[in-house]
Amino acid sequence: MRVCCGLTSHLELARRPDLYGRPVIIGHWDEHVVAASEETLPFGVTPGMALRQAEHLCPQATFVLPDEEAVVRIRELIASALYDLAPVVEVRDEGVAWLDLSGVVRPGESIRETRRRLLQAIGREPRLGLAPGPFSARLAAARARPGRLMQVRDAGEFLSPLSYRELPLDVEQLERLDLLGLRTLGAVAAIGPRELESQLGRDGRHAVLLARGLEPDELAPWRPPLYTSGHRQFGDPVEDREALLFVARALCGDLAGELGLRGAGAKHVRVRLLFESADEEKKESLVRHPLSSQAELFGLISAWIKEWRPSAPITELWIELPVLEGAGRRQLRLWAGGDGSSEEVTAAMERLQERFGEEVVHRPMPALVSSPIPTERFA
Amino acid sequence: MQELALESAINSIRVRFGSQALTRAAEMPPPHPWPSGSPVDRLTGIGGLPRGRLSLFTGSGTCGKLTLALSLLARATHEFAHSVVIDGGGFDPWSLLPFSPELGALTVVRAPALEIAGEAAATLARAGAGFLLLMSDVPEHWLGPLESAANRSGTVAVGVVDAPNRALAHASSFSLGFSHTEWIYERDLLVGLRLSARCVKNRVAPPLGETELEIRYPLGSRTVADFTPGVTQPSLWVPRAEGMEGVEPCASAVV
Repeated sequence: MRVCCGLTSHLELARRPDLYGRPVIIGHWDEHVVAASEETLPFGVTPGMALRQAEHLCPQATFVLPDEEAVVRIRELIASALYDLAPVVEVRDEGVAWLDLSGVVRPGESIRETRRRLLQAIGREPRLGLAPGPFSARLAAARARPGRLMQVRDAGEFLSPLSYRELPLDVEQLERLDLLGLRTLGAVAAIGPRELESQLGRDGRHAVLLARGLEPDELAPWRPPLYTSGHRQFGDPVEDREALLFVARALCGDLAGELGLRGAGAKHVRVRLLFESADEEKKESLVRHPLSSQAELFGLISAWIKEWRPSAPITELWIELPVLEGAGRRQLRLWAGGDGSSEEVTAAMERLQERFGEEVVHRPMPALVSSPIPTERFA
Repeated sequence: MQELALESAINSIRVRFGSQALTRAAEMPPPHPWPSGSPVDRLTGIGGLPRGRLSLFTGSGTCGKLTLALSLLARATHEFAHSVVIDGGGFDPWSLLPFSPELGALTVVRAPALEIAGEAAATLARAGAGFLLLMSDVPEHWLGPLESAANRSGTVAVGVVDAPNRALAHASSFSLGFSHTEWIYERDLLVGLRLSARCVKNRVAPPLGETELEIRYPLGSRTVADFTPGVTQPSLWVPRAEGMEGVEPCASAVV
């Protein structure tokens, strides 16, 4: 296993790129610090300490309330941005992104692209580590300079001199390690797993395996949600059909880009128009072949919009794709026989059938071709 | 000042609707020809029907325009993955069989209303269907989408109408007018039709040209095997004289 780790600031901090370079502490009042920027480290602020204590240590810091929903959105954004770079991708709120590069033909390109996309998503240069497992990759990344990669070939050798405080143990367990005189990962690695298990429980055994570089943890692969949508809110209610088509085309482009990234296609399409009165009108349809390109999505949606007679000016347009499925089996324009993609034409015919009935489109097949009755000649 | 305003309007249209939404005539790429293997190729001036443009075959009833269009359709079924007939009513696949079509590549869209015909034509052209035979009028507001869609995908669109309305005539890039010259009789039997085809509009090459054609009807009884797709039949239409210079006299006929 070769794991690349991209280390950025906590995603709570990534919400506020305008505060980069200044001491920032994230947390609820009367609770613990959720995240703190690097600039607060010299003052002794660490995540997990009481917010009052953090304020006492670093009174000049900007205090921001956490926003879990925003963090989830950023995490999903990063995960979907990295999804096509490696078979397994995991992103955590602490600002850690792992990519399992085993089997990737050009890992160097994936790493370069990881750096570029993380920079684009977070607005800060990530630190990068490449090691045999997630634990050592994360520690390597933490020791790299921003925008640079630290590569670790032998995890045991790399981990050996590092402090025992790098282990994912609670404060009490770390104190016990200190009391036992196990102050480096090398010292922890030298002790038997069962012996430390008797001292710290199952976490002790786990700590020994980590310290030895055996990487007992597997990455939890991120999977794209089976639902996606896009929407636009209009400043002034829209009554112009052309404007609606223009926005719908842009949304279809965004959704097609997202679908392409996931290798997915939409099996179900729904369009909702919201009005000032909070009422809404919607149209939806199941499609036989999943739609994945902008032309396919817009082909269906524009036909709806062109004949739509909304009851009031529109304040919001939603395009939802509630059911997604793999579109990898469809390689558009691969087998074009001098004309367009056969799949696209077939999809267009199906859309016509959905709108006007099955009998609108048919392929004539010879039945009783010598029959004097015209309707009997072809099926 | 006026030029600046015009430039600004053009730019805003391009930003809003895409770079292809508005193109200067001088910037338009020349249309690629689709060689149909018929005398029509010479009349277009580019060696084939223009791809991505609308061609029209016009003329009053029994002038041979549909027969020629069917022969083109049959050829298209062998060359394109999708050949589509937009049928406003009256298309019988049986009439196509003498031209040995590949029926697997043929799709018929029955359009009981003009609106459906227009939408189907524009949608299929946008999707990239290789050949569209329009046997129905197309509403004016669908002609723009049809033109632009065909232009992007390179669809060969051929319309067959008795007399096109102004919008359709304006939208076409190549228009061929057919007129019945005379019936052909042999031993007092009607065996065919002589007609003249004249280029009445050409936006893809310098106009104009004219040719004479003969259409020979199949004679005698036919077996079921004759109708089976894949069995080659002699072509039903025979160019008698072709050229851009004018009509030439007809000689003998061929079955």
